Amino acid sequence: MIIQTIITGLSIGSIYALMAVGYSLVFSVLNFSNFAHGAVITLGAYIAWAAMVRVFQMPFIPALLISIIGAGLIAFLVERMAYSTLRHRRAPSLYLMISAMGVAIALQNILYATIGANLYALPPVFATDSLMIGDAVVSKLDLFALGFSILAIAALTLILNYTKIGTAIRAASHDAEMVSVLGVNLDLLVAVLFFLAGGLGGIAGVFMGVKYMVYPSMGWITNKAYIGAVIGGLGSLPGAIVGGIMLGLLEALVSVSTIGGVALSTYRDVFSFGILVVLLIFRPTGLFGRHVEEKL
Amino acid sequence: MQYASAIFTNASIYIIATLGLAIFTGYTGLFSLGHAAFMAIGAYTAAILTYFLNWPLIPALTAGVIMAILSSFVIGYPTLRVKLHSDYFAIATLGFGEAVKVLLENLQLTQGARGLPGITKLANPVNTAFFVILTIWLCHNFLKSNYGRKIIAIGQDPTAAEMIGIKLLPNQLLSLAISAGFSGLSGGLLAHYITFIQPSIFNMDLSSLITAGVVCGGMGSLTGPLVAVALFIVVPELFRGLALWRLVMYGVLLVVIINFRPKGLFGQEELNLKNLPKLFVLIGMTVGLTIGTSVYNYYKFDMNRILALLLAALAAVAVTAAISYLGRILAKLLAPVTSRIGPWWNKMFSRFVHSLDGILKPKHKEVAAVVREVRAADKPIIRVGGLTKKFGGVIAVDQLDFVVYPGQLVGLIGPNGSGKTTVFNLISGVYPIDSGSIEFEDNIISGKSPTSIVLGGISRTFQNIRLFGTMTVWDNVKTALHTSSHYSLTEAFVQWPWTVWDTEKRMEDEALELLKVVGLEDLKDRVASTLPYGLQRKLEIARALALQPRLLLLDEPAAGMNPQESLDLVNLIKFVHKKFNLTIILIEHHMDVVMNLCEWITVLNYGGKIAEGTPEQIQCNPLVMEAYLGDKVDYATLS
Repeated sequence: MIIQTIITGLSIGSIYALMAVGYSLVFSVLNFSNFAHGAVITLGAYIAWAAMVRVFQMPFIPALLISIIGAGLIAFLVERMAYSTLRHRRAPSLYLMISAMGVAIALQNILYATIGANLYALPPVFATDSLMIGDAVVSKLDLFALGFSILAIAALTLILNYTKIGTAIRAASHDAEMVSVLGVNLDLLVAVLFFLAGGLGGIAGVFMGVKYMVYPSMGWITNKAYIGAVIGGLGSLPGAIVGGIMLGLLEALVSVSTIGGVALSTYRDVFSFGILVVLLIFRPTGLFGRHVEEKL
Repeated sequence: MQYASAIFTNASIYIIATLGLAIFTGYTGLFSLGHAAFMAIGAYTAAILTYFLNWPLIPALTAGVIMAILSSFVIGYPTLRVKLHSDYFAIATLGFGEAVKVLLENLQLTQGARGLPGITKLANPVNTAFFVILTIWLCHNFLKSNYGRKIIAIGQDPTAAEMIGIKLLPNQLLSLAISAGFSGLSGGLLAHYITFIQPSIFNMDLSSLITAGVVCGGMGSLTGPLVAVALFIVVPELFRGLALWRLVMYGVLLVVIINFRPKGLFGQEELNLKNLPKLFVLIGMTVGLTIGTSVYNYYKFDMNRILALLLAALAAVAVTAAISYLGRILAKLLAPVTSRIGPWWNKMFSRFVHSLDGILKPKHKEVAAVVREVRAADKPIIRVGGLTKKFGGVIAVDQLDFVVYPGQLVGLIGPNGSGKTTVFNLISGVYPIDSGSIEFEDNIISGKSPTSIVLGGISRTFQNIRLFGTMTVWDNVKTALHTSSHYSLTEAFVQWPWTVWDTEKRMEDEALELLKVVGLEDLKDRVASTLPYGLQRKLEIARALALQPRLLLLDEPAAGMNPQESLDLVNLIKFVHKKFNLTIILIEHHMDVVMNLCEWITVLNYGGKIAEGTPEQIQCNPLVMEAYLGDKVDYATLS
């Protein structure tokens, strides 16, 4: 039982981590919370649905790749349309956040208005059956999601550490202004940044779609991924991964616990946001967060 | 008629919630995504009281408002306590909204997700209209009061607000509580108007509607959000079948407005006859988008979707442009009339106020003049000992000792980066000190909060001017006079003439007096950020003086001034020094200003004191020359 819970927690936690990394990447360079990330993830899931069910009957892996690229491009377009003007004008981060909220509301409701509120299932492309580890029943899907998330994060780490643009992104997370003064094309850097964040979000969206369903408001789940990013410390990539996985584990544990006979699973989301409030009280910068202090 | 009154009532209910949010998000700049939760709390509290206990409407609504206010502290206190990135606050409110929804879905009392059907229909267009007018009146009064000015000041520049002694947390909480209260009222009315509530009504979409209203209408404005939400509710109703596209429209409007017109429609100003064309632009945009979407819906089956989309976009742009243009023409035609109405109205209003003044004859409370103790001149007013501050590996201030005696005008000079401003920041409590002590009038002030230091008698100006940019010159000074007002919040809300008008009048006079001192009385109604640089500096000095300091810290007051301006400034500082019997510490790079003004000069370099003395002594001090000019002085010949 406990092993099963832990695997489920790790699996959902790794999906949270993928999304949280997207938040943290953007936050580390641009210093604002991209609340449109959830909508991008939702669109990523819809792209996979279109590729696998609606339009083409593709196999899973090509569909996943298309979804990664598609979500990455959407994230890039969102940046161009909703943030770049503000960014060039050095608007306060509140403005960027409002713009992001606008994008999130608009994209989600465009889905409602065009495709509708129906729930669509992604096909069971790989084994849905379970594995026995000891006496625990573990779904193969969970293992697969966990494995693929680890791969994706490893790929991201490689890109950030061993490519030129990755190095520039890491430098920009310390001082974006300085990096642009050094001759790096900041627009290109931000474009790559959003593409990476969106691509990771696409993976997360597809796995969410396979595990649950595809529907317009599935982006809501990213708010919890955001909490994961805050737990780890906004702007820190290792923080986002650890925070996301911790939140996934905690949620899995809460889901199977009871207090005085009352199952806690209905209060799972309240619990997650409660963690956020407790964290803001005791350790506002998160586990790995740098202290963000405004200059006088 | 029935239909029209339904739309009116609906719009009115949302206007109440939006005005509440405008008080919070619009003025403090904190973004809330969970105000639907406060509406839910108000709605459920009121509905349960009328439904199960048969309470009348007004007490039930009041209870709802109180519950909403109490719950605002639950979310506000932990999140606003730490000065954080406002993003955290946004996500915490989002979570709060969700938590409230989950709670309502699982409680016995609220009948879970099924909701409460069959609430008595106690709200009608008449009493809703009454509540809207009440809300507008209360909000307007609040913003005009001392309490409102404090909140506006925090929204404009939290650091500057702290530096005139305004505590952030209580005021932010107050504004959150007020906005929660109005949201609760709005929720209560909603419950008694639609007679059936369930948790899912109070979702993100509702929060986004009122947030979009505040942002599109304009932050820092009341009429803007009011107009925006009214249009959001009314216009789409005219074009049915667009319920799904309505939220798309809010989203797009948010993006477009924040990108191209971040002030919103009436940012930092109120709707009046002069900015009427703007109203038409918003009406045009709303109507345009609505028509555009209906065009799309109409043609999407008959022709190619992309063509339909293009047609829709074209229609939207054309309608927007046409209505905006119409507004402009109308405004031009009406210009001769409006230019006369404004002054006439002002005259009538002031006449009305005067006549009321005569009738009511407010009792004039004698305010005891602050008697300054005369201190022995040999006792220092401020004593800094062993002051040290490190930023990482950099020692900005290193074992600094100095004393200043009452009535002195001391210069603090030194090359760039020698730690002068850091010393000010340490004295005024902006940075915590690493070691050492600061003693002001026998009290240790190191470790105290900036606000308590300011209120204790040390006020300052900033190297980079930090005025409340969109306030008028007069209001900037009035805001700083906040300590001299003693009326209560309730009195502020109803503008109780016997206390509020009286106090406000006195504050206005005091502020004017201070503006006269710095020579800005003729510019009192100008918006502060439109003043020339030199005058902004003077205004900052006036604002600092409003706190009745005993020690004034001036951080490079002559920076960027031409010789004539700095000569004026020298005279002003001399005058202020005498008139208010002040002690002044002055950081300045203009040596003529320093030598002309200061009777004693302390020179810093690398965070430590390298010399002090009278201007004559400093001028020929070899160490000072070395610090400034980099001369290699032969120490052997000196000693």
